[in-house]
Amino acid sequence: MRRALRSRTLVVGLGLTLLTLFGVIAGPWITPFSPTEMDFIAVLTPPDMTHWLGTDSFGRDVLSRVLSGGRVSLFISLCGVGIGAVLGVAAGMTAAWRGGMFEVALMAACDLLFAFPSFVLALFMMVVLGFGLHNIIIAVALAYLPIFARLARNLTRTLMHEPFVQAARLMGQGGGRILLREILPNIFPTLLVQASVGLAFGIVMEAGLSFLGLGVQPPMPSLGVILADGREYFTRGPWVLTMTGLVVSVALLGLNLLGDALRDLTDPRLRQAAGP
Amino acid sequence: MAASRRAAVLLLTVLAGAMVVFFAMKAAPGDPALSALGENARPELVAAFRRLHNLDLPVGEQFATWISGALRGDFGRSLTLAGGVPVGQLIAGRLPVTAFIGLYALILAGVISMIVGTVAALSRGTALDTLMTSFAVLGVSMPDFWLGYVLVFFLALNLPIFPSYGFVSPSDSLPGALLSGFLPALAIAAPMAAVFSRVLRAALLEVMHRPYVQVQRSLGLSSSFVFLHTIFRNALIPYVTIIGLQVRYLLGGVVVIERVFGIPGIGSLMVDGAFGRDYPVIQACALTFLVIVLGTNLLVDLLCARLDPKARGR
Amino acid sequence: MTEASHVAGISRRGVLGAGAGLGVLAGSGWSGPALAAPGVLRAAITGYNVVNTLDPAAAALIPEFYVIWGLYNGLLKFDSQMQLVPELAESYRVTDDGALEFKLRSGVKFHDGSVLTADDVKFTLERLMDEATRSPNRSKVSALSAIEVPDPLTVRLRTAEPFAPLLTFLTNARTGTQILSRKAVQADPAGYGRKPIGTGAYRLRAWEPGQALKLSLFEDYFIPGRNRIPEIEIPLIAEESSGVTALMGKQIDLTSTAPFADIPTLERRPDIKVLKQPGLNTRFLQLNTRKPPFDDVHFRRAVSLAINRDVLVRIVLFGEGVATPALIPPSLTASYDATPKPLTTFNAERARAELAKSKYGAGTTGAILTWGSGWWKRFGEVVAAQVNQVLGTNLTVEVTEANTVFSRIRAGDYQAGTWGWLGMIDPDEYSYDLLHSSGWRNFAGYANPALDTLLIQARRELDPARRGALYKQSEHLWIEDMPVIPLFCSNVHNLLASNVTGFTQLPYSNFGDQFATMAIG
Repeated sequence: MRRALRSRTLVVGLGLTLLTLFGVIAGPWITPFSPTEMDFIAVLTPPDMTHWLGTDSFGRDVLSRVLSGGRVSLFISLCGVGIGAVLGVAAGMTAAWRGGMFEVALMAACDLLFAFPSFVLALFMMVVLGFGLHNIIIAVALAYLPIFARLARNLTRTLMHEPFVQAARLMGQGGGRILLREILPNIFPTLLVQASVGLAFGIVMEAGLSFLGLGVQPPMPSLGVILADGREYFTRGPWVLTMTGLVVSVALLGLNLLGDALRDLTDPRLRQAAGP
Repeated sequence: MAASRRAAVLLLTVLAGAMVVFFAMKAAPGDPALSALGENARPELVAAFRRLHNLDLPVGEQFATWISGALRGDFGRSLTLAGGVPVGQLIAGRLPVTAFIGLYALILAGVISMIVGTVAALSRGTALDTLMTSFAVLGVSMPDFWLGYVLVFFLALNLPIFPSYGFVSPSDSLPGALLSGFLPALAIAAPMAAVFSRVLRAALLEVMHRPYVQVQRSLGLSSSFVFLHTIFRNALIPYVTIIGLQVRYLLGGVVVIERVFGIPGIGSLMVDGAFGRDYPVIQACALTFLVIVLGTNLLVDLLCARLDPKARGR
Repeated sequence: MTEASHVAGISRRGVLGAGAGLGVLAGSGWSGPALAAPGVLRAAITGYNVVNTLDPAAAALIPEFYVIWGLYNGLLKFDSQMQLVPELAESYRVTDDGALEFKLRSGVKFHDGSVLTADDVKFTLERLMDEATRSPNRSKVSALSAIEVPDPLTVRLRTAEPFAPLLTFLTNARTGTQILSRKAVQADPAGYGRKPIGTGAYRLRAWEPGQALKLSLFEDYFIPGRNRIPEIEIPLIAEESSGVTALMGKQIDLTSTAPFADIPTLERRPDIKVLKQPGLNTRFLQLNTRKPPFDDVHFRRAVSLAINRDVLVRIVLFGEGVATPALIPPSLTASYDATPKPLTTFNAERARAELAKSKYGAGTTGAILTWGSGWWKRFGEVVAAQVNQVLGTNLTVEVTEANTVFSRIRAGDYQAGTWGWLGMIDPDEYSYDLLHSSGWRNFAGYANPALDTLLIQARRELDPARRGALYKQSEHLWIEDMPVIPLFCSNVHNLLASNVTGFTQLPYSNFGDQFATMAIG
């Protein structure tokens, strides 16, 4: 029963995620409309057979915008989480390996970053760096860096004294080599689970920042930009905000289910550690 | 860990956080004086502005002035709001609002997750469990600000129990605050409740299968007694821990939601500050959030220590 | 009911209103007397949440004036027909030697209890003129050469040359010439902006920055009246759409503006009154003629020709406005030049022909500065899209916030920007200020000697009809050069809860000046 449930989660999660990825990547070829071209004749038309999710206040097809905005948001989240993961894992593993003051200092720095609410940290970074796409990526990366650093350090420490690591050490392998060849492959699945959950949250973070007007700048669509526009013209065209939010929720549902299923598959002990 | 050591670490963290906040802002491009007064402001005005905001001091001294002021609740003056209102006064006025909304959301999330998590765990494997768990995953997937907006339009405007905008301060009227804060708190609480109930369900299931629970059951203790006194109590530790961890996420939700609902808290203050590049305001808000998170973490640790019989015995 | 709970505030009443809808909560103790209490008017300023000062001399933003109009009076005011009538002045006349003489009302009191004298008027205007005050409103009185006070209730204003706009500039509008108390300013010159003392029907009681202002009735207001609303709450709501939400949810009673897109829907609602009329404003594309690509007249003309202003009105304003052929808006009837002008009429073919003559071609890049989340941002986006579509250029939009846009335009750190003031009441403010080589808002860097001469002539012309004709003529002098691209004039709106009465809307988007006549039914 439990296995079946688990695999059902996996199937649904994977299915939704693949569907999202397909839509986002193939978007330009499957929708006949441009996400940025304005059609002043067809402003705020409700959903119909031509425009499945209706048009927005500039007469742009909402579905096309959601797909292309989804790509931008996913790109931001992917880059942000990716950078945060690479840097965080590198720092965390090094810290565990070298120990001493380096480890103490690094973990203290991570704890400090971790003590700021991630959205507050992002907001703060947007002011320091300025609004715009690249800076959201940096903000997302900074929010994720401490999480990955701590996770990688803890996982590395548990593995460091395992026989296979000791063996590699005795065979004269260097620290970097052991970390990369022996330890990383073993902790990778766990990191991937964290990344899949992080990806979902990165998207929400971008959406939140752009929704407030602090993120991606027009005419580039992003999920947050589309939601913000939908809110502005909500009384005239409620479908823009409602539909876009629903699509985002479904896409994130896919990612979260996938994360859940992967988590169960890799290590049940992690269930508590990986929040958003 | 000794209490004094713990306090020292906490204080050091706050100090380090203050340094990060302060020097990161100093590194931001652009001159605050020019952005506040305009590019071609007259030199003597720029000089006066710099004096007022201590910008003419060396950076180290600026920090010392700022941090010693901050300890007394003096965060300097706002660059944009009401012709330079003291930031400390702004924070003091808005902190209770944010605290109220945050706590409200936390309590809502707690209540919802207690019910959902327990029901799901007790009816494990049934359709009810699947339904509850699916709701939980869905809850975590909905962007809170979107949910908030949809709630306003479909609940507040069609069912006029809840106000659609604005917020009654709890000091004016507690029932009014509870009513006007309900939708925003619910929007913030939804993803929280989802995470909490999943953790609670998992923790309950795990504890149920521990040997000592099986022993108690076999001793003939009533199942409700066992559930309340043993299972639930033990499952609460990871549950409270996750609540502590999620507080930082909750506060992120508070920032956006305050803005969407027009709630005058620290979050909307910080967003206003971000738009106006009001450095003193942003620094003060970021530091306030940091202190809230650290304070909550401390509280959670103390609570966990009380809940955990092993820890208490030590 | 205690004083504290009586004034508890905007949202309290909101909850009350909402509770009354349910019928259950209204009678349940904690909520106090339900809707019957006409105690508080919740008049929201929407679309802005910045009020920096309530010193008329320092005020620059329209939300600041929205409040100032309720706290102060001018020597004159506009009546409901937009005619000049005396306010603090009892009467005025031009003396034989050409001075403008005002007789003040006697017994007018300031909020601090002191009595208004001619000396306060002299002080107010001199302070405004003083370079050291650095008032953004200085140009309103810079023509004054002398202020005489022959007796405590008489003021004589002299100008070196005739200055036609002077009377208009002494009204309680977006002028900064509102009369303040010498004593109050001198008591605390630096802090005055936060502790305003005027003669208006309401005085400032509390101010929560970025959030709300609270006014209470000034019992000694010089215009007698009964049953005035005792308390005014002015919540500052940054997003216009949130203002509508608040009004629909009965959290506020009046808004200062309304989102254009929502007007048709709102007009159909029985619980909301929509007031609207053509506004005193012209929205234009501000160009920097010192920087590429707008340093080329052909490029500027091409851009103007590529913009379909009717589409702009439909898409940006959702029909709530009119396309304008030039800078002076239709509401200034005497000076408005209605002749269609080829250069401000959409013509794709001619636009491309102008582009061909220009040193810039298709693919030219440029940034249009704009701000916010509402229609200003939309304005920039649609203009960029239209121009790019016709000319094949690559204009982009840079969205920041209004203060930043203004300071960058003022500093010349821009290529183009969406701009236009609301509530300018004299043709001089649309022409001299913007296009005269020494106009204080000539941020285009434009200079045209023939136009300069004509605009000075118009300032000196005291006959309204002849003056109007000069302004009409002036529009033809600069249009070929296209230093700014005039686009449209938008309607002004106020939204009222259906039980609120007594608000007379004026085309300059008035607000606080109506509180004294309003009632909640």
